[in-house]
Amino acid sequence: MTKSEIRIPRFDAYERVMHWMAALSFLYATLTGLAIWSPKLYWLAGVFGGGFVIRGTHPWSGVLFSAVIGWMFARWAKTMGLDSDDKVWLTKMDKYITHQHGALPESGRFNAGQKMLFWSQVVTALLLFASGIVMWFPEWMPRSLRLIAIAMHPLAAIGSISGIIVHIYMGTAAVPHSMRAMLRGWVVPEWARFHHPKWYRQWRDSTNIR
Amino acid sequence: MTNGWTDVANADVVLVMGGNPAENHPVGFRFVMEAKRLRKAKIVCIDPRFTRTAAVSDCYVPIRSGTDIAFLGGLIHYAVESGKYQRKYVEQHTNASFLIAEGFGFENGHFSGWQGDKYDKTTWQYELDASGNAKTDPKLEHPRCVFQLMKKHYSRYTPEKVAEICGCTKEEFLKAADLITVAAAEDKSGTVLYALGWTHHSFAVQLIHAAAMVQLLMGNIGMPGGGVNAQRGHANIQGSTDMGAWNMLPGYLKIPRANLTTIEEYLKANTPKPLQAKSLNYWGNTPKFFKSLLKAYYGKKATEANQYGYDWLPKIDEKGDHSWGAFFDDMFHGKLEGLISFGMNPVANGPNTKKMLTALSKLKWLIVAENFETETAAFWKAKTLAAKDYPLALDEAGISTEVFLLPAANFAEKDGAFVNSSRWLQWKEAATDPPGEAKRDQEIIAKLFLEIRRLYEKDGGANPAPLMNMSWDYAKPAMPLLSEIAREVNGVDLKTLKQLNGFGELKDDGSTACGNWVYSGCWTEAGNQMARRGQVDPTGLGLYPQWSWSWPANRRILYNRASADENGQPWDKTRAPLQWDGERWRGDVPDYKADAEPGSLPAFIMLPEGVARLFAPDLVEGPFPEHYEPAESPVLNALHPEASANPMLKTYSSEPVAFGKAKDFPYVAITYRLTEHFHYWTKHTSSSSELQSNFFVELPAELAAAKGIVSGDKVRVSSARGTLEGPALVTKRLRTLMVNGQKTYHVGLPIHWGFVGKITGPLINNLTPSAYDPNSGTPEYKGFLVNLEKI
Amino acid sequence: MIVAKLIDTTLCIGCKACEVACQEWNDQEYTLGTFDGSYQTMPDLAPNFWNLIKFNEVEKNGGTSWLMSKYQCMHCADAGCIAACPAPGAIVQLANGTVDFAHDNCIGCGYCITGCPFDVPKLSPTTKKVYKCTLCSDRTAVGLEPACIKTCPTNCLTFGERDEMIRVADIRTRELKADGFKDAGVYNPQGVGGTNVIYVLNDVKQPESYGLPKDPVIPWTVQLWKGPMKVLGTLAFVGAILGAFFHFVIYGPQDPEVHGHDEE
Repeated sequence: MTKSEIRIPRFDAYERVMHWMAALSFLYATLTGLAIWSPKLYWLAGVFGGGFVIRGTHPWSGVLFSAVIGWMFARWAKTMGLDSDDKVWLTKMDKYITHQHGALPESGRFNAGQKMLFWSQVVTALLLFASGIVMWFPEWMPRSLRLIAIAMHPLAAIGSISGIIVHIYMGTAAVPHSMRAMLRGWVVPEWARFHHPKWYRQWRDSTNIR
Repeated sequence: MTNGWTDVANADVVLVMGGNPAENHPVGFRFVMEAKRLRKAKIVCIDPRFTRTAAVSDCYVPIRSGTDIAFLGGLIHYAVESGKYQRKYVEQHTNASFLIAEGFGFENGHFSGWQGDKYDKTTWQYELDASGNAKTDPKLEHPRCVFQLMKKHYSRYTPEKVAEICGCTKEEFLKAADLITVAAAEDKSGTVLYALGWTHHSFAVQLIHAAAMVQLLMGNIGMPGGGVNAQRGHANIQGSTDMGAWNMLPGYLKIPRANLTTIEEYLKANTPKPLQAKSLNYWGNTPKFFKSLLKAYYGKKATEANQYGYDWLPKIDEKGDHSWGAFFDDMFHGKLEGLISFGMNPVANGPNTKKMLTALSKLKWLIVAENFETETAAFWKAKTLAAKDYPLALDEAGISTEVFLLPAANFAEKDGAFVNSSRWLQWKEAATDPPGEAKRDQEIIAKLFLEIRRLYEKDGGANPAPLMNMSWDYAKPAMPLLSEIAREVNGVDLKTLKQLNGFGELKDDGSTACGNWVYSGCWTEAGNQMARRGQVDPTGLGLYPQWSWSWPANRRILYNRASADENGQPWDKTRAPLQWDGERWRGDVPDYKADAEPGSLPAFIMLPEGVARLFAPDLVEGPFPEHYEPAESPVLNALHPEASANPMLKTYSSEPVAFGKAKDFPYVAITYRLTEHFHYWTKHTSSSSELQSNFFVELPAELAAAKGIVSGDKVRVSSARGTLEGPALVTKRLRTLMVNGQKTYHVGLPIHWGFVGKITGPLINNLTPSAYDPNSGTPEYKGFLVNLEKI
Repeated sequence: MIVAKLIDTTLCIGCKACEVACQEWNDQEYTLGTFDGSYQTMPDLAPNFWNLIKFNEVEKNGGTSWLMSKYQCMHCADAGCIAACPAPGAIVQLANGTVDFAHDNCIGCGYCITGCPFDVPKLSPTTKKVYKCTLCSDRTAVGLEPACIKTCPTNCLTFGERDEMIRVADIRTRELKADGFKDAGVYNPQGVGGTNVIYVLNDVKQPESYGLPKDPVIPWTVQLWKGPMKVLGTLAFVGAILGAFFHFVIYGPQDPEVHGHDEE
């Protein structure tokens, strides 16, 4: 077996389903949300059946997304904790951006940037969920809450979407083979060792495959 | 109304008392608001409750329910003592100068002539001279002249006494009195608007008399923006009064009594004689009105030889009484076999629901012609239907009354005329046909009549003459047109067969027929005057002489001659409803002979005195209004505790439950209508039911706090007659009143609910007493005693 | 021509005729209310009830006053509902100033409910769309006055050209001041650019006692999300996309083949 034929399992089926449920519900919520957000993007509403339809479906996609984020939290919260290396990593994030990997502490299963994305998505999802519920049922909600929600929801969405844009870039063009990891669940040792050396060693130590 | 709704805009002061026009006459109230805006009129609202009328008033004074005479008596006292009355008017146009017989007086709560249970009125009469005219003292100084007697009578009604009885403060009374007496100036006028807040008392007629006295002292009768104005609550209640209710013939002709066996006796007893040499005494024409009425009833069958059918006219016993309370009492005693009820819902609107239900249950048959199944039509299941609101002691299983509910057309499905508060007969067209099998009232009546007559012809029967001789000359006998009836009511000259132009053409020789003399002129040869919609206003006073037709004779302001002085010139130069131009009277249709010089006749042509009555000798309980407590009162009369309530109070010994005492029922209850509903009818309609869906008990904040009641809590209200339950509406608008030094609270009970309809709730008449005004027979729905509990 | 409705509260008797006229003209479904301790028909406007007389008991100068005033859409010149509405064409301002809802375009999001400083629009639970007074645009379009105006028995309600209504309101205010109501005034709040429903109040310093907000404005959060936040969002999204693109152009992918170094 050559090295490149070795497949290191990175995401199991649960995680892949979880991720793609989040991704799809996020995509739907984003596109419908953008339609409601700006008249310039209102044409998007037409794509999904019109404004009246998306007003009904957008909240449900948000509920689904929030539920999956909850699932992710349950599954990954521990993993996503920052260790001391991560903290150093974060201070040297410019080195990561400029591809000076040697200057960075080694990452585990997720690097500190991914962890930050995770936490930012958890926080924004919470904000989106809370404000979304308020906006879903305006007739039952106190005006003060609605006033907060009407600003908080798009603000959180801006944060969330921006993060996801970066995430998509990272997951596709920026880090080749990431997509396969999330679609098929495995990576090659070279990739693992390069991007997540600590995690790679854990894998290596736990197996006799070389 | 002596005046009319449009004329209210001419007022400088609007005294709203015993009524709540903003809520119950909102459309008419526009003219109050016009007076307020354009004339800067002051609105004075006197009411136990702070109502929607009070909300837009300049001066609101709360008084205890049933103390209006004390308040008005106080006004009379205040006006006379302070000189704030229109002296010249009082001298010219009232009986202030008339001398009263020796021996007239008032002591210990009774007028002279009290016999323990009734009055001998001998001392209440005018002192007449040899020719039968009343003696007068034009200077108003003679101790037995009406003015001096009035001054003496009301000397007890000091502001302090008013405050003590009514429960307002002396300052509040004086503020109101100052505003009201502004109208004493010759060029100012004040109107009085009242409704059921006055008539629903056991001294109602005296109360209105007191208001008339105030208005006469202010010189407001006959004036634009003046008058004593009854706001009628139903679209055609004025019409039903004019056309004769239970004990009156059309046009306010007295119903024949059994002791008056011939037409001569009837006319002699009911045609007044003048009491002043020059008095026109228009009721002296009673024979013309009465014989023309009989000709309308019996047509060709009525001849001089058979007394125009006088024998066929139903009579009531000499002392008999066919007023509401009386005939329900008769029914209660099983003396009535059946009842035909049109547009009337006695179970809902009669006092003491239990008595009404029991009375109906003793009938053999009951016909109800209505738009909906009313409480009356459903009375036999009242106990079951009302169970959630109150217990009713009624044995449904024992009721054998056969009930016929006839679907009747409503107002929009009939043409005909409504007579409004302004005495206008306004003709309307039907908007649509009656639905389903519903029939117009006249068709129901005609078919019943024709069928009964057919059965009489076939089988015979008791006393057939009135039935057989009744004139029934309609194109379609089973469906008379209301236009045919209106033409009959107007009257016709039987020689020329031409429509009469007015009651001036009526004859007492059987050559004219007229169904109601006061309506004569409504449908002349020129056509249906009631359908006119002309908007010209020659006087500039909003009289609109070409808009519909106003009885009598299209006159818009009654007693309008009194708006001018002895020279026929208006008291207020800027406003002349009537003016003598040297040859004729110009302006409104004169309440006077049109070409009679100003000094030739006294101004009040309908009265034998020729002048208005400050002193009214013909009322039952006294010639001057006196404050009596309601039949149930929290206090004894502060003026004469020994004669606390009306000595002539009408009640019936058969009441299932008598009156309650203050120790058991400490609070004063008032019943009233809300703007959102019309009587017991609109609970069947969607819109009104939405506007006010729920019955409530309105409570003063202080009383509620003491009992730990907040709005929405369920409370039980009980009287000596029964109980009911409902949610509380707690408000500061109901004030605590200090009466005779003790705190007095009102409990407010809106009517409108019942056990059938889109919305249901308690019938408040389950609580009201069977106490009646002795003059009018109206029940005392306001100012009775209740207890209140939180449940 | 901008039109306006003038409500002279000093002439309102709370008869509710305008409520019925509104219900009838707009063919609304009637509902039965539950008792809430007031004479008011219902506590608030409803999707099928666009015109409400508010009854307010106010203690003032030691006495009780009972203020009644008609409440409905104010047809603001600078309308909060329009500012908040995300659905193009769902809320329109007609040439005569009427703020009207085009229900075909309404998506029922309810933003207008939040945007309105008067809390007027109401979401229908059955149709899931939002409803409010239309100023009877179907009547005014053919030269008729709104139904409420037509029915008002006391001349409390008048309707006409806005400038004329303001002139009448000013005259009435002067009358009231002369009658001793020193704080009388016209309620025509400038925070929303003025309204096409204007009130004459005995005490304009305390509009709250009539159930009217004191200084209504379009909420700043609504303005925030309609204005600056759009810019922020656009910058963020475009920035993220462009940033990613140019990052790729400059640095390319992070590929072990390129950067890799075998540590073993």
